[in-house]
Amino acid sequence: MALLLRTVARQGLCSSRSQFGILYRHAVPMGTSAKEEMNKFWTKNTRLNRPVSPHISIYQWSVPMLLSISHRGTGVGLSSGISAFALAALVLPESYPYYLDLIHSMSFGPQFLAFSKFALAFPVAFHTFNGVRHLIWDVGKGFKIPEVYRSGYVVIALTVLASIGLAAM
Amino acid sequence: MAALVRLSSVCHRGVSPLLFRSSSLIRPLAIQKKDHDCLYLISAKIHATPSNYASSGSKAASLHWTGERILSIALLGMVPAAYYIPGPAVDYSLAAALTLHGHWGLGQVLTDYVHGDFKIKMANAGLFVLSTVTFAGLCYFNYHDVGICKAVALLWSK
Repeated sequence: MALLLRTVARQGLCSSRSQFGILYRHAVPMGTSAKEEMNKFWTKNTRLNRPVSPHISIYQWSVPMLLSISHRGTGVGLSSGISAFALAALVLPESYPYYLDLIHSMSFGPQFLAFSKFALAFPVAFHTFNGVRHLIWDVGKGFKIPEVYRSGYVVIALTVLASIGLAAM
Repeated sequence: MAALVRLSSVCHRGVSPLLFRSSSLIRPLAIQKKDHDCLYLISAKIHATPSNYASSGSKAASLHWTGERILSIALLGMVPAAYYIPGPAVDYSLAAALTLHGHWGLGQVLTDYVHGDFKIKMANAGLFVLSTVTFAGLCYFNYHDVGICKAVALLWSK
């Protein structure tokens, strides 16, 4: 937010300098970075033990909001899964095929296998497709609200289709 | 990033009275003394970066952002590569790209939710240890075991 106000303020100040020379005379650079100001905000407010205003508990959820937090959630979940896998590779004594056969020997049927493939493929597919959506935003396209919703629905549809397709393989 | 630039061009129009762009607002305000104090407070809070600051500023954050996007695109390319040309090259590339992408991603999560100098430092240190162990484990798996591409293939074959 501070960054936003700065950008706006700088644009305004630069282009009409002559008009408010009277005001600009008193404008001194703050001398603190955004990071420092954010830290000051948090240390002061946590020290005074101030409650945080309700935000996610009261704001009406929208599809873009859900997709955004799901992107973060799947990212954290997948990262944790990869780290757990890497840790297991370092710690467990036997090889991967051994443990795979172990799991298959106590498998609960073909539906279980298909479902677990779907459960693995779903977060990967979602994070990938929504990631592409993010990259499209990063080149500056698709910010109009209808476009945001449309691309969101496309991501959901592609995720479901890809997960079913991958689970069937 | 692009969102911020776009928003600022929209806000610029809406916030124009605050910046006193139209001369009709300036004249009466310059005359009245008590309003002048309010203006002093507003303008004093404006972060007017002098032009000599503009050249000296670290591009680290901007380069990090670009690096994150390039890595994401590279990781995207590794998915078909893992399917069509599995092998040690893709295995180790995936290990590196996945670990770094996760490290940077979790770093952003920590930046968003962890506050306070000491807590930030500890959280980032913990993340660094986690990412190092992750990369070590994946490389170990690639070297001593079947490798990432083969592991996924085996998992899917049953």
